[in-house]
Amino acid sequence: MTSPHEGPQEAPIVPPPPGTIADLFQEALPDIEFTATQGAGDVILIVGRDDVPRVLRTAKDDPRLDLKYLRCLLGVDHMDGGLEVVYQLYSFTHKHGVTIKTRLPLDDPRVASAASIWKGADWLERETAEMFGITFEGHPNPVPLLLPDDMTDHHPLRKDNPFAQVEEWQGVRLGAEASKAGHIPAGYESIAGEGGEEDGG
Amino acid sequence: MAVEDKDKTATPSRALSGLEREAERLRPVEVQHPHALYREVLPGVIQAPADYLLAMARKSSLWPMTFGLACCAIEMMSAYMSHHDLDRFGIVPWASPRQADVMIVAGTVTKKMAPSVKLLYEQMPNPKWVVAMGSCATNGGPYTRYDRVVQGVDKLVPVDVYVPGCPPRPEALIDGLIALQEMIMRDRGSIG
Amino acid sequence: MLTDQERELETLDIHVNVGPQHPATHGVFRMVLTVSGEKVVDVVPHIGYMHRGAEKLSEGMDYRQALIYQDRTEYLAQFNAELCYCLAVEKLAGLEVPERAEYIRVILTELNRITSHYMFVGAFATDIGVYGTAFTYAFREREYIQEIFDAVSGDRMMYGYFRPGGVVWDVTDDFKDRVRWVCGQTRVGIDDIDRLLTKNEIFLTRCLDIGVISKEDAIDYGLSGPMLRACGLPFDLRRAEPYSIYDRFQFDIPTGTRGDVYDRYLVRMEEMRQSVRIVEQALEEMPDGAIMPEKAPRRLRLPPGEVYMRTENPRGEYGIYLVSKGGEKPYRLKIRSSCLSNLTALKQMVVGHYVADAVVILGSVDIVLGEVDR
Repeated sequence: MTSPHEGPQEAPIVPPPPGTIADLFQEALPDIEFTATQGAGDVILIVGRDDVPRVLRTAKDDPRLDLKYLRCLLGVDHMDGGLEVVYQLYSFTHKHGVTIKTRLPLDDPRVASAASIWKGADWLERETAEMFGITFEGHPNPVPLLLPDDMTDHHPLRKDNPFAQVEEWQGVRLGAEASKAGHIPAGYESIAGEGGEEDGG
Repeated sequence: MAVEDKDKTATPSRALSGLEREAERLRPVEVQHPHALYREVLPGVIQAPADYLLAMARKSSLWPMTFGLACCAIEMMSAYMSHHDLDRFGIVPWASPRQADVMIVAGTVTKKMAPSVKLLYEQMPNPKWVVAMGSCATNGGPYTRYDRVVQGVDKLVPVDVYVPGCPPRPEALIDGLIALQEMIMRDRGSIG
Repeated sequence: MLTDQERELETLDIHVNVGPQHPATHGVFRMVLTVSGEKVVDVVPHIGYMHRGAEKLSEGMDYRQALIYQDRTEYLAQFNAELCYCLAVEKLAGLEVPERAEYIRVILTELNRITSHYMFVGAFATDIGVYGTAFTYAFREREYIQEIFDAVSGDRMMYGYFRPGGVVWDVTDDFKDRVRWVCGQTRVGIDDIDRLLTKNEIFLTRCLDIGVISKEDAIDYGLSGPMLRACGLPFDLRRAEPYSIYDRFQFDIPTGTRGDVYDRYLVRMEEMRQSVRIVEQALEEMPDGAIMPEKAPRRLRLPPGEVYMRTENPRGEYGIYLVSKGGEKPYRLKIRSSCLSNLTALKQMVVGHYVADAVVILGSVDIVLGEVDR
């Protein structure tokens, strides 16, 4: 995942400048705890798991926010930090957008479903559920979307799910050591180098 | 039909009638080459071993089942179209497996798709061949480290020709299909 | 019209499986139609037959290698996908792209949009029943453009030509002349297909008022691209949230009114013409110079952060949500697939139409299964 001499680092929380959509959210929902940070593109709002249905419903219905367009819904596996669900919203009338994130504990990955708010969230939640093992409560049709029906026991995008083993390399059956990422088969060490060092390429 | 007995070397003093021209056309030709296929048995009839004829017929009219799965399908379609034109080899894409001869597996086979691949292969009547087009069909390609991908279609069906590339150029696919044609011709004794 | 006797007849709704291998499904897509007579009562799409794990595999590769999965995910508009990925990485890394590389990228991206729309027109017309004619025309025109891509990047399809920071090598000397010739040829080609299809009575009967979706529903489902513009909303990411150098070019945004299949076709045809306009403007302005930044790092190590980069793909809004936690490999690379969101509205558009229309509506969504399933 990361280079061997550095562990994963979190991005610092940079409070957004005044006048962004974070202030509109604060006005519309004064009693909810937000952590607002300015990401590389949009403002990111981190909310608690139980506040998610209210926040999303207000985001869509409130005329100041009018975030009627759900662009993206994804999950992130932060290993010990838990799982995270990210919603990316946009408004055509006000031309502003926001990212809303919420953390879920690893032992209890449940969050309310947004399928009743945006119809497009239906399939996106199905996919996130099968990839990470997150349960979306209230989802009308929680069946797997992309994975075959007999392979839904382990969730591919979780970090503890390894890559598959290459079964055969140049006609030679490989053993268990081939499943480590970065394994170089015998005889190819000289051309493998350090992982590609061409300038600009 | 009655044929006037004419001297072959004499030039006729008048135009030949229709019957006479027909007789002239059907007069058998002596070919002295020892390996000549055309023999002087009956005029206008080819004499050749039956398996040779069958193999020639099969290779000249390979109808692939349209089995484009992923990106290689676009290059396969390019090969069918006018720029590269597979139709001149007799290769006409046909959607139904029941009338198809060859299955060009163009693209990645996932574990969800694998039963369909097997079923379609079994639905094709004999003689049938399989061309694994692209690196995904050969061994899983760039997606080989994902556990939902079948690492090569030869884990499901027997493959006759592997065409490497990601995706292979239409010329490479044509090369693969010509190799398949040569293979059909070469193995003509063993195919029923 | 049904008589009273017929209305009392007990009929059975049958399930028609338009299976994963089908000439009209644009790839391995399966839908199970429940039909009553000829009218579709319910449709259940099944996807995932092309799920190859591009997102998972990108986590195991560094930022330069993960580019290859973008090509193979969106295998008809590869430069668009590569551009989105490179922009996402550049945004997080803070890389400055030189001018010449920007113009090369825009030219190639717009030409790729044209090839993608040609593919749409060919496949769509084949779904309607124009067996082979429009498809052959479209592929002939695509070949002219694909030859340019082949000369520039070395591959006919999976280019891998863009890099975070610019492009990998400079274009050939005859690039400008070839692209200029191709622009003229494309105008002729679009007119050819236009004359064949647009005012054709059979085409109109099969496309007008089929698969209508309202603007509010389209926004709710998350539709984007030509599907959303055909409903009447003139939203184009190149104009609304300009990326790269699109704010320097003059182009119109074709918008439909009815939200039906015919409008989607017209929107895409007109987009091709607008793309030619953009390419011609870019050719005029393209400067000489470097194609990668001066101090391009040998190993791309990004600071921790997240970005959601979205670009206007031929099929809609293609997004890359990139989570970086330091290091050389992406921590999470989520591909926001335009086709997947467009496909969620399939049931609403198809129910109530005939079986033959279901195929036409699916064709008008213009799906690429590599992107739907990733």
